[in-house]
Amino acid sequence: MFVVCDCLLQVITICFAVGTIFIPIGLFSLQVSQSVLEIVDRYDVECVPPSFRSNKLEYIKDSSIPKNCSRYLQVNKHMKAPIYIYYQLDNYYQNHRRYVKSRSDKQLLYGLKYNYTGSCSPEDANNGLPIVPCGLIAWSLFNDTYSFFHGADALKVNRKNIAWESDRNHKFGKHVYPFNFQNGSLIGGALLDPAIPLSDQEDLIVWMRTAALPSFHKLYGRIEEDLHADEILEVKILNNYNTYSFGGRKKLVLSTSSWLGGHNNFIGIAYISIGSSFIFIALVFMLLHVKNPRPYGDTTNISWTWTGISS
Amino acid sequence: MKRYIYINHDDLAQDLYCDNRISNRKYTLWNFLPKNLWEQFSRFMNQYFLLIACLQLWSLITPVNPASTWGPLIFIFAVSATKEAWDDYNRYLSDKKANEKEVWVVRQGVKKLIQSQDIHVGNIVWLRENDEVPCDLVLLGTADPQGICYVETAALDGETDLKTRVIPSASMGIDFELLHKIKGVIECPSPDKDIRRFDANLRLFPPFLDNDMCPLTIKNTLLQSCYLRNTEWACGVAVYTGNETKLGMSRGIAEPKLTAVDAMIDKLTGAIFVFQIVVVIVLGIAGNIWKNTEAKKQWYVEYPNESPWYELLIIPLRFELLCSIMIPISIKVSLDLVKSLYAKFIDWDDQMVDLETRIRSHATNTAISEDLGQVEYILTDKTGTLTENKMIFKRCCIRGTFYGNENGDALSDAELLNAVSTGSTDVIQFLKVMAICNTVVPIQSNTGVISYKAQSQDEEALVRAAASLHMVFVNKNGNVLEINFNGLLLRYEVLDILEFTSDRKRMSVVVKCCLSGKIYLLSKGADEAILPLARSGQQTRTFSEAVEQYAQLGLRTLCLASRELDDDEYREWSLMFKEANSKLVDREWRVAEVCQRLEHDFEILGVAAIEDRLQDGVPETISTLRKAGINFWMLTGDKQNTAIQIALSCNFVSPEPKGQLLLLSGKTEDEVCRSLERVLLTMRITNTEPKDVAFVVDGWALEIALKHYRKAFTELAILSRTAICCRVTPSQKAQLVELLKSCDYRTLAIGDGGNDVRMIQQADIGVGISGREGLQAARAADYSIGKFRFLTRLILVHGRYSYNRTAFLSQYSFYKSLLICFIQIFFSFISGVSGTSLFNSVSLMAYNVFYTSIPVLVSVLDKDLSENTVMQHPQILFYCQAGRLLNPSTFAGWFGRALFHAIVVFVITIHSFVFEKSEMEEVSMVALSGCIWLQAFVVALETNSFTILQHLAIWGNLVAFYAINLIVSAIPSSEMHTIMFRLCRQPLYWTTIILITMAGMGPVLALKYFRYTYRSSKINILQQAERLGGPILSLGNIESQSRSLEKDISPLSISQPKNRNPVYEPLLSDSPSATRRSIGPGTPFDFFQSQTRLSSTYMRNSKDN
Repeated sequence: MFVVCDCLLQVITICFAVGTIFIPIGLFSLQVSQSVLEIVDRYDVECVPPSFRSNKLEYIKDSSIPKNCSRYLQVNKHMKAPIYIYYQLDNYYQNHRRYVKSRSDKQLLYGLKYNYTGSCSPEDANNGLPIVPCGLIAWSLFNDTYSFFHGADALKVNRKNIAWESDRNHKFGKHVYPFNFQNGSLIGGALLDPAIPLSDQEDLIVWMRTAALPSFHKLYGRIEEDLHADEILEVKILNNYNTYSFGGRKKLVLSTSSWLGGHNNFIGIAYISIGSSFIFIALVFMLLHVKNPRPYGDTTNISWTWTGISS
Repeated sequence: MKRYIYINHDDLAQDLYCDNRISNRKYTLWNFLPKNLWEQFSRFMNQYFLLIACLQLWSLITPVNPASTWGPLIFIFAVSATKEAWDDYNRYLSDKKANEKEVWVVRQGVKKLIQSQDIHVGNIVWLRENDEVPCDLVLLGTADPQGICYVETAALDGETDLKTRVIPSASMGIDFELLHKIKGVIECPSPDKDIRRFDANLRLFPPFLDNDMCPLTIKNTLLQSCYLRNTEWACGVAVYTGNETKLGMSRGIAEPKLTAVDAMIDKLTGAIFVFQIVVVIVLGIAGNIWKNTEAKKQWYVEYPNESPWYELLIIPLRFELLCSIMIPISIKVSLDLVKSLYAKFIDWDDQMVDLETRIRSHATNTAISEDLGQVEYILTDKTGTLTENKMIFKRCCIRGTFYGNENGDALSDAELLNAVSTGSTDVIQFLKVMAICNTVVPIQSNTGVISYKAQSQDEEALVRAAASLHMVFVNKNGNVLEINFNGLLLRYEVLDILEFTSDRKRMSVVVKCCLSGKIYLLSKGADEAILPLARSGQQTRTFSEAVEQYAQLGLRTLCLASRELDDDEYREWSLMFKEANSKLVDREWRVAEVCQRLEHDFEILGVAAIEDRLQDGVPETISTLRKAGINFWMLTGDKQNTAIQIALSCNFVSPEPKGQLLLLSGKTEDEVCRSLERVLLTMRITNTEPKDVAFVVDGWALEIALKHYRKAFTELAILSRTAICCRVTPSQKAQLVELLKSCDYRTLAIGDGGNDVRMIQQADIGVGISGREGLQAARAADYSIGKFRFLTRLILVHGRYSYNRTAFLSQYSFYKSLLICFIQIFFSFISGVSGTSLFNSVSLMAYNVFYTSIPVLVSVLDKDLSENTVMQHPQILFYCQAGRLLNPSTFAGWFGRALFHAIVVFVITIHSFVFEKSEMEEVSMVALSGCIWLQAFVVALETNSFTILQHLAIWGNLVAFYAINLIVSAIPSSEMHTIMFRLCRQPLYWTTIILITMAGMGPVLALKYFRYTYRSSKINILQQAERLGGPILSLGNIESQSRSLEKDISPLSISQPKNRNPVYEPLLSDSPSATRRSIGPGTPFDFFQSQTRLSSTYMRNSKDN
């Protein structure tokens, strides 16, 4: 006779419970993720004129060559507003130690009043004058621009409120204006309008929220009208930003959103697989118990020999 | 260097030497900070942390704010410093108490009461009976007309007997009043720590004439911390004061004891350190390669083309800093904290309070509780430790007549009482020796009740017994003893006392009968010190048989003898004795030699047998701890037979046929060598058999064995689970401890007297019994307990829990540090191997200091098995002894768990928070929350017994994590402003956290359950049994019952292979035939009494179970 241990019951119950809860959640989030529609277009290669394909670096560095480029995006399914416009950079290390530290939060908030910008090196000062905003992150601000056309009509893109509100209110000064920015011998990325305070430079604010992964999306704007199936959008791109030197990819992403965020099947798949492995474990334990019942807590056959313990 | 001390000269020497202020303080207010810091930084761990902290000040390489290391570092230093300061403050208080104690000192010719600290060299200090000597004094006068006083030097050398001190001849006979005005000079050496030497000269100034130099020795001194005893008053001149006294100079700093667990943690830390260096080198090289190949192309990173040489070091150093959290900075503080809690648990334990004396158990050393759980050898003293050290006179043999054999108590033996009342000369002489031959002091209270004050328990027992047999020692008036025998007052004048020494093993007094004027020498001592000195013609066989018989019963024996001396003989001898006593060199040896000239041709009067009862629960304690796999060695100064008997009666060795005693003996090297080989041979053969084999060795053979055959003896020590060492000296006890320690065994020494102090200090764990022999052992020990039986609880409950808890806590500390460090390492792979920290400074600091240390601290309340279960299954201690819960393989398990959890957290985080959500601060907080959740569940899973506190700590900590982070997120200037609010609003965050938790815990849970059920350890089985509830039946009980039955029928005998052929002969022989065989040359014993006593012990034992 043996007692079915409460412990076995507990474990099996936990495993089954977890499994039965996880699988539906997984299926549900998978469905939510699938319902998010996404148009992704990689344009960094296509936007280089064929004559420069073998030497993209020369193309991007030569400011005399026009960087205009047009891309056509096919809408496969009806996309409901708001549709978010992101640019995606791959193989771009915003999380690099040298890069991520090269900023001065105090300067962003207080401007020139805050003098110490040692952390911004090597983009802390130019010609003996401090740079506002200083540091590599601001200096390398992304400067491709997109305009969307619906046939001949321009599609209205809302470029306001793309940055976090808290950043605009608390992290970037309302009275801090760009100063001595991109005046050096080496021009990094975008220029900033010295007349607009940093708190309103939303592209900068978005860019300054560094990504933790080398592949990331940054919000560019929102299309606030539905896109219908089989529509063709024309995107006029100013392909200014240099990713060619390090083989980075640039993509334009149009995506709807869900309560779980963007299109990402990982959560759903993970939940389903974890859930099913829990159920699998429960089944294995049940089988083990049936095939190989263990007397539970039976102290009578403990042998207290030394070898018995140490084996 | 010499110092000249002008006696009683108030103006001189005041400034020359320090005053009597005692200072045990390590620090002063001024040097505390630098000295303490210096001490803390002399430890490797602290140096390492300091190096890391300093590296972090270099902003180029620091991944996080330097505060994340400096904060905890300063906190940890502050904690240790506070502890030190507190200890030092307590020392200051006790110093102050000693310093402000009031003593009588002569100032300007008048006796004044001043504080002890104001005594200056040259002052005359007055002491009364039972006063503590405040500084080193040279004796000038005592109440005794002979100029003798008695001191107890226990605090100095651990010897409890009273020592006599004499005033120097120059000051002999000086009037009490004149002592106030005495002047003179003492020439003495500069302070040293030799408490046996004081070579000085005294010269008194007129009017005390005597222009001669008078030599002074240690005999003329009263040293600091001794007590004046049995002397009404004494006075002396201060020669060494304050910290310059002999005691002050010899005060050493006790070396801190390191537990096996600490050593293991150090080892593991070392391993982690090596691992860390490897990781740093690999990642450093990879980082530099990536930098040179990839990062140069990443224009936005703007690496300069030319860089200084040290640029190569920057990335490895960054990784060094990132990985420095691998070695948890908090582990030392946490361990110190829990260790002091373990000690408090011992102090608070109500089940370890001696009900008679109300003495609580106390842990003096708070740092070594884990070692209690890993004890492998217990070396125990016998008298006072296993026994009660309450001596009671039980039997005697006077002139071949045995008294007390029938009823076991001679005092109520009608035959003896009859003999006393009829006035049998032999019996009366015997009683007289019992009453007179001692150093006992009778004290008559106001009500007329006489109590005896004795330094030796045996003497007290004898005097008491004599008193109850109508030979009452009434009064000691100077040198005249008054004895009331049946209303008749007898007076004896003590002429000389030939003191007891451990070499002579006897003491004698020379007394003169005031009535007849006859002079007698009365002696008592160990049989081998008395019986050979019997007058020719006297048969001592009955006496030696009596001694053997009593020893078989576990009684202590003393032989009593006397001799009438001629006046001439005495006078002649007395001169020699005086001369020897005034010798400056080799005095003790000379005195012993002179004593021997008188102590011969004894008329042996008889043998007195004194019982020293076993303490309650000793057999049970020993058998329980035996079952726990602990080996016992008994080290005693007592004689072999007594020791063996006590050993048998307290389950120390098993009687036949289960047990076997092997004798290791011999007087010469050759004999010992042969004996040792023989014993070793038998030991090797029987090692495979389930037999309790023990060896018995005496001090003499031990001396030779340790000196010449150390290797063989060590092998014997390893093979033998039990040993009885008799007639061993304190230093031999310490040597044996040292021997076992050198074989890498954890030793626990337990004792109660001053002679055990060395062994207690030598052992890994010293336990002192606060017993009748005073408190020195208890004071020198790491733990002091009231009774031997508390040892079970101390080891099985406190030691075991401490070990388990520390094992968990230390490994867990590494686990959580490794977890977060692995995540950092993984993150470096997706951040260009540049050494970016995923976590921000605040989180990193708080992770180690708050989030993860509080839940784990409550693991000090965790009990894997209930106390009762452990007591019933002491075998479970094996897991602790063998270090099963903390060793490289368990650590590898935790390492693997950390790696697995880091992978889970990292992979899930970076796949859930992708693209537009891959914002640095958010990802970092998701990963951190994942770690916090996992660690909460890990602690919960590893906790065996939940109390409300544990729930509060584990889940409260989780809540606190969110509270803290939400608060930090609410501060606009903080780096993580609004991050936590944003996250908590996102369903994705919560789904990710649940995913991390379940994916991390699932396999751990499954594995744990699988192990618990299918690869269950004995602990698991007992846990299961506990869960089922009800009584837990174990084999242990059944076994002990059957064993006790076996014992009742088994023939029990001991034979000693005396003068036997070198063939091995068992001490406890196997069969009746063996008994018969041993009758011839050896001395056979039949001891039915002891047999019944044994079996009754076992019966009790089995019932208790």
